[in-house]
Amino acid sequence: MGILSLVTFLPLLGALILLFIPKEDKTATRAVGVGAALLTFLVSLLTLRSFDPSLSAPEGLAMQMVERFSWIPSFSIHYHLGVDGLSLPIVLLTTLLSVCAAVYSMNIEVRVKEFYFWLLLLEVGMTGVFVSLDLFLFYVFWELTLVPMYFLIGIWGGPKKEYAAIKFFLFTLFGSVFMLLGILALFFASNPHSFDMLELARSHGAFGREFQIIVFLAFYLGFAVKVPAFPFHTWLPLAHVEAPTGVSVILAGVLLKMGVYGLLRVCYTILPAGYEWFLPFLVIIAFINIVYGALCAMAQTDMKKMVAYSSINHMGYALLGMAAVSPTGFSGASLQMITHGLITGALFLLVGVIYDRAHTRDISAFGGLGAKVPLYAGLMSLTCFASLGLPGLAGFISEFLCFLGAFPVWKLYTSLSVIGILITAAFFLRMIQKVFLGPLNEKWASLSDMNARELVSVLPLTVLTVLFGLWPSLILDLMNPTLEALAKLFPGMFQLVR
Amino acid sequence: MLENAHWIALLPLIASVIILLGSREDTEKSRLPWLGIAVMGWCLLHSLCLLGQAVAGKLEEPFYRTLPWFRFGAYEMTLGVLIDGTAAFMLCVVTLVSFLVQVYSLGYMHGDPRFKRYYAYLSFFTASMLGLVITSSLFIFFACWELVGVSSYLLIGFWFEKDAPAYAGKKAFITTKLGDLGFYAGLLLLFAYTGTFDLRLLPTHFAMGPEHMPEWVPAAVGLLLLFGAAGKSAQVPLFVWLPDAMEGPTPVSALIHAATMVAAGVYLVARTYFVYQASPLAMDAVAWTGLVTAMMAATMAVAVYDIKRVLAFSTVSQLGFMMMALGVGGYTSGMFHLTTHAFFKALLFLGAGSVIHAVHTNDMRQMGGLSKKMPATFITMVIGTLAIAGFPWAFSGWYSKEAILHDVYLRSPLMWGLALATAALTCFYMFRLVFMTFLGPSRDHPRWEHAGESPSVMTVPLWVLAGLSVFSGMLLEHGGLFARLVHAGGGEAESAGLAAAPHWLGWAAVGAFAAGLAAAWRLYGEGDFALASSLKNNLQPLFTVLEERYGFDRFFLWLVRLSDSLAAALHWLDDHLLDALFVDGWGLLTRALAEIHGFFDDFFVDGAVDGVGGVTRDAGGALSRLVRGQTQEYLLYVALAVSLFATFIMAR
Repeated sequence: MGILSLVTFLPLLGALILLFIPKEDKTATRAVGVGAALLTFLVSLLTLRSFDPSLSAPEGLAMQMVERFSWIPSFSIHYHLGVDGLSLPIVLLTTLLSVCAAVYSMNIEVRVKEFYFWLLLLEVGMTGVFVSLDLFLFYVFWELTLVPMYFLIGIWGGPKKEYAAIKFFLFTLFGSVFMLLGILALFFASNPHSFDMLELARSHGAFGREFQIIVFLAFYLGFAVKVPAFPFHTWLPLAHVEAPTGVSVILAGVLLKMGVYGLLRVCYTILPAGYEWFLPFLVIIAFINIVYGALCAMAQTDMKKMVAYSSINHMGYALLGMAAVSPTGFSGASLQMITHGLITGALFLLVGVIYDRAHTRDISAFGGLGAKVPLYAGLMSLTCFASLGLPGLAGFISEFLCFLGAFPVWKLYTSLSVIGILITAAFFLRMIQKVFLGPLNEKWASLSDMNARELVSVLPLTVLTVLFGLWPSLILDLMNPTLEALAKLFPGMFQLVR
Repeated sequence: MLENAHWIALLPLIASVIILLGSREDTEKSRLPWLGIAVMGWCLLHSLCLLGQAVAGKLEEPFYRTLPWFRFGAYEMTLGVLIDGTAAFMLCVVTLVSFLVQVYSLGYMHGDPRFKRYYAYLSFFTASMLGLVITSSLFIFFACWELVGVSSYLLIGFWFEKDAPAYAGKKAFITTKLGDLGFYAGLLLLFAYTGTFDLRLLPTHFAMGPEHMPEWVPAAVGLLLLFGAAGKSAQVPLFVWLPDAMEGPTPVSALIHAATMVAAGVYLVARTYFVYQASPLAMDAVAWTGLVTAMMAATMAVAVYDIKRVLAFSTVSQLGFMMMALGVGGYTSGMFHLTTHAFFKALLFLGAGSVIHAVHTNDMRQMGGLSKKMPATFITMVIGTLAIAGFPWAFSGWYSKEAILHDVYLRSPLMWGLALATAALTCFYMFRLVFMTFLGPSRDHPRWEHAGESPSVMTVPLWVLAGLSVFSGMLLEHGGLFARLVHAGGGEAESAGLAAAPHWLGWAAVGAFAAGLAAAWRLYGEGDFALASSLKNNLQPLFTVLEERYGFDRFFLWLVRLSDSLAAALHWLDDHLLDALFVDGWGLLTRALAEIHGFFDDFFVDGAVDGVGGVTRDAGGALSRLVRGQTQEYLLYVALAVSLFATFIMAR
């Protein structure tokens, strides 16, 4: 068993062990849940040792730690795993955020066993999506994330949890049905029939332009819902707000990345003509995501909903970078996925911290907490500043690279998108002002600062945010060769951007 | 020496982190602030050594060192230092002012519950500014620029329990951030055509002329960077944040107004002067922005009574002078004024702080007669005023302002005339401040009784700055020292123009000074201000315009409200149109279809089935009545049937 299989299925092992623990023993349940997530994270770190960022293949897609064997031979379906500089950082992000979510969720008291079972199962699905190189397997993992998420929102969520869960489920399913059609179309159009992403990418020339466009759109529907790209974003605020804190972290930190990742891994490499055709629309959608998402965030009174809408804005930056089809833009988009995962993950945790104490997230219900809970105020402010793109923190570099990559190609929309930066600053500062500054609202005079559990879940993200902000090459060096190769994969294509 | 120059920016940064996280309790007894002061003292000494090297001619060729930071695509981002004469001067100015402000703050902030944090912020603020001064990369310049913005946010809003500072901090951050968008876009455009952010490589790209890059590029880059500079350096129309920034502790105001933050914008234009040299349009924009700002701010300074606000508007106005100088090609005179201004403006602010410390009010109408109570503050303040007003042939402000007026005259006598009028106005409002604060009878006697001279930890920095305000102009002017060290790369026009300017220029400036002083004495020299208030009553509409800051604040508030409404409207659409109609609507439609489908199923399909079933059942029921299990009845039926059948056959 290869290391990628180990990383993917270790949480499943944890989930199975959970089944043998008596329901009443919450301590043991939590220990196993957190332990399994932590072990998975540590094992995933081992992949860094055998990963060689500079490895390249003549066709541009150099996969490492590959595991490949026949699974359903009659349909030439393979169990095919592998990572490159695009997927490995996201896999690490997934395992890290799962630990943070698991640690934070130790305060859950109802149906603990089920909670950790679903959480670990969700991790299997997410990791699987990022390591599979066979479209069929990819689809299986993709759908596997759906069911645990449905229950996690539907059982442990807020007041409108059932509505949010069903909406999330149906919305995603709506997208993935089209994706399934796309996968089948690729299978039947390829000769010999294949689900293998790498083979399909190599034989993309065999697909006609019209075919590519249609199949691209089918895939796009599946991915756009996840990103979420305007106008398929309306499930997100609801699901994020209703989901319990730990699950919101996973939703924003990892699930959204499945969309962006899919667009690069599947749409771009297998359907370049479709991707090229869609570029002018993609950049407009990116612009709308950035400005519209930021403006919607500014209109929020609920902190969690504000952070949720800010995710729409931030994923817009990633889309902008992807529309550049240049090493710079792709670097920006990939880095943006990671930094958004870290920063927004931390933001959701921090919103959870105050909600657990105050049982409200209404921005105007607070006031003057800065002197009362200095540690919380400091961490929250730092994270907000990271999210609004303050230099020295990770978000700045990724945002800048997205803009820098896109600007030479899409001058107008990139310039207009810059406005998003200002709006982001405005709503985060307003939130900080209303919650932490001004005279103390006496209602919260007995509020306590963060406890150990909360600090353990938030601090790793904060530390990485600062570290990557000061030393971005730590992560960029992992990704750059792959992204450079990706951007140069189709020298003859992409007239629009070259 | 030069090899270690990067520590000038890095050490204060490290110090700020240590001060912030060094100990848990945040009390005035903390020894950590001394670390900040010591580090800044070291930085000051190091900067002076660098300046010494520059004077010795070792910086004829700028010192330049870089090391790789991170790669993206085919490009490499570098960390590095680029030190020329200008940078060496800026380093000295920033470290000196910051050092004095930190010493002064020991007295001013004494007893503040967040004493330690205050010093952490001060160190961070200075570190950001020093990083900006020293860096070789425009990208790092921007990064430090943003950090300067966030430090100002933290320091202006330092007393965040009060609403006004919290609001002012946010206003400063957002307004300058609006300008930063210009900087940001300028960077994108610049990189798209040059592929580098390196300040040493960039000038060659811009010097290569129109065949290398389209002519609109330098103009656009210049205008965009100017917009950024306008935000930080409080130029029209983005000056609105600076008067409100008074809500921060007064030493912070001194730091912001003298050395950090507002100087950054001017320094940006100076550092990217090659862009402006490539575009006359952008150059003119700089000049006129500066002039308009200088004039507007000087007029607004006349109409306020808050001692710090007068100084704030005077800063805006003086920054306008610097910008104007850069815009007319007076690189040296602009930077000269930046240097001298740093000294006397820091002095004036710290002096004002000393006054506020003593009387606990900012309102000059409640002061008066303080010269007897606090002589040291009074004398140093008068020195600062003489310097900023440009007392002829003596104080530093005279030399730098004279140099600017000289450069402006060579460019355009019209601009010179307007600038001269502004200089007269400067003299007027500054002496108005001095007269209202220190002379005449005390207008609020309890406050006056209570007032006393500040402790020496506060007055010593005043004396140091006063000395510099007097002598720095003469010293630097001497033998053309400043011009030799600080000059624009490329074409040099100003030295050539020296002979061309008429000799009466200096006398005109003397006239402006005398006129301003005389007017101030006439209106405010006597205690009751009778003439001043009658003048104000007669010119009420004009004063209203000035007090409302020409409507700029209202305009920006309107902009904020507009974007808020836009946000609310979009969110409503998101909820009610996109989500409710298209998503939930689809859901509802699907459900409705399902209902219809269900109804059809129930009524017609099932109904038909049920119908058939029902008919069958009814028929069966009717039949069952016939079938009651009695043999003789069955035989009767059989007989009937047979006879009917027989009849039928026979009838044929």
